[in-house]
Amino acid sequence: MNGTIVELTFRQLLSQRRNIALVLAALGPVLIAVTYRLGADTDFDLSQAGQPYSHHQRFVAEALLSDIVLATLLPLVALIVGTAVLGSEIEDGTAVYLLSKPIPRWKVVLSKLVVAWAVTAGFIAIVTLAAGYIPLVGQPTEVTLRGVTYSFGNGYALPVGFAVAGIAGALVYTALFICLSIVTSRAFVTGLIYVFIWEGVVTRLFSGTRVLSVRQYTFSLAEWLSNAAPEVFNARLGVTTAILMTVVVTGMAFWFAVRRLERFEIGEAT
Amino acid sequence: MTTETTTAAPPVSAARSTATITFEHVSKWYGNVVAVNDISFELGPGITGLLGPNGAGKSTILHMLSGFLQPSAGEIRVLGQPAWRNPEMYRQVGLVPEREAVYPFLTGWQFVLQSAKLHGLPDPEAAARRAIRLVDLEGAQDRPTGGYSKGMKQRVKIAAALVHQPRVLLLDEPFNGADPRQRLHLMEMLRRMAAEGHTIVFSSHILEEVERLAENVLVIVAGRLAASGDFHEIRRLMTDRPHTFTVRSSDDRRLAMALVSDASVYGVELEDSHLTVKTSDFAAFTVALARIARDANVSLYEVLPTDESLESVFSYLVNR
Repeated sequence: MNGTIVELTFRQLLSQRRNIALVLAALGPVLIAVTYRLGADTDFDLSQAGQPYSHHQRFVAEALLSDIVLATLLPLVALIVGTAVLGSEIEDGTAVYLLSKPIPRWKVVLSKLVVAWAVTAGFIAIVTLAAGYIPLVGQPTEVTLRGVTYSFGNGYALPVGFAVAGIAGALVYTALFICLSIVTSRAFVTGLIYVFIWEGVVTRLFSGTRVLSVRQYTFSLAEWLSNAAPEVFNARLGVTTAILMTVVVTGMAFWFAVRRLERFEIGEAT
Repeated sequence: MTTETTTAAPPVSAARSTATITFEHVSKWYGNVVAVNDISFELGPGITGLLGPNGAGKSTILHMLSGFLQPSAGEIRVLGQPAWRNPEMYRQVGLVPEREAVYPFLTGWQFVLQSAKLHGLPDPEAAARRAIRLVDLEGAQDRPTGGYSKGMKQRVKIAAALVHQPRVLLLDEPFNGADPRQRLHLMEMLRRMAAEGHTIVFSSHILEEVERLAENVLVIVAGRLAASGDFHEIRRLMTDRPHTFTVRSSDDRRLAMALVSDASVYGVELEDSHLTVKTSDFAAFTVALARIARDANVSLYEVLPTDESLESVFSYLVNR
């Protein structure tokens, strides 16, 4: 890793107007959580395993953290940040100043990846924890169902599990999108197609394609880390596969990005 | 000195024992489009100008030289090392790209300093100070580069490329946007560097820039090396060719009669509103014209060379 590149990339990201859009996007899930908290009644049920769960937990996991934060916000933020850290330099021609230095290309990609990951992961972790806790804090932890009184957890493990899964997902997404930004000048559009067509439609229709969906890896990790009951949240990919694919996809995206950057031609983007 | 005009791949020019840059039968093509066609040359310390009209292939040659384009065929070596896929080469090579873009959020000082740091220099601050002084940018070094003029951006780019005191400096259209004073200053600086033994290669489509700076010149036309060698010899070839002028005067007929008796003129056509004059000696004709007009008591309203575009000059060289 190269400290100068890391510093330069952070400054580059901070100087961009799109940060305002990111902050506004972050407010979305938090506002939804506040609105839900103000309007929803407490409601409980028993899981198939005979464990009680609150519908608050289900809302937090199913709707708020998975559908809105992990499935929508995470890939969008990763796409914006991942394609900006190197892609914008390639696009405007400033990448030449970076690449005409005696620095191995893997160090360039690693430095960019670290910044993109840190920014995306930090952003997602804060939003996940904030939006996840708001509906759960202060909710009853004891409930009587069919004459039996149950004590159960407050569900705080949910936001933490989803936040950690989001951090892992941020690594895969940013590695993929950095790679994409080196490969094509239309990285943003290609990324959007991947997120909304491939992950949003194709992997829902054809179960075999889930193994190629970062969203599914993140969901699987979230389920595993938060130890959620199936009624609260149910991922559709095994955790072993998810961990393996997280490592494999990140590694391959990194390797391919380095390889492409080693063969970077100025005429490709200028 | 070697001067040659070529229609096929020229041989490597007389080898210099101090060659720092070697192009051997280098071609670059994109699909069916040939951008650079079988070019060979060797360059040593000093200033070399890459001259040619826009789209001739100058930038492609500089990009290949700086390791940012892979040649489709042939071999390029800079200081004995391959240029392609060799970041280590940049320890000895500085590049000033043509594009104006710099990091707009960095000040001039920060831009040059980060270049020094990326080169891993032991004292980056001292190196940045020296480079900024060289390009005379100390007064504006604390302003964000986003607010720089075109000429200032050019100078800060040159400072960043010079910060590690490279043995080879490559500049793509370096005088674009520079005002006459900055231009003179940059030229003086490059001459000093050349005298210290640096190899400097710059591209330009402006003949006068190359004339004022380069001792050695490579004329590129349509991806081919049209001529190489001493600038003055090539300049002579460019000027000692048939020229055509359009002349408008107070009495075209009388001026035509006076002109045909001059040795530098070999043809005059009297047309509706002007004369078309053909000359084989550009310098003699331009000196004689005013004298002839004065002696014939004719006022000159307009004298226009009709074929002075670089494209036509270069085409003449290629077809010669």
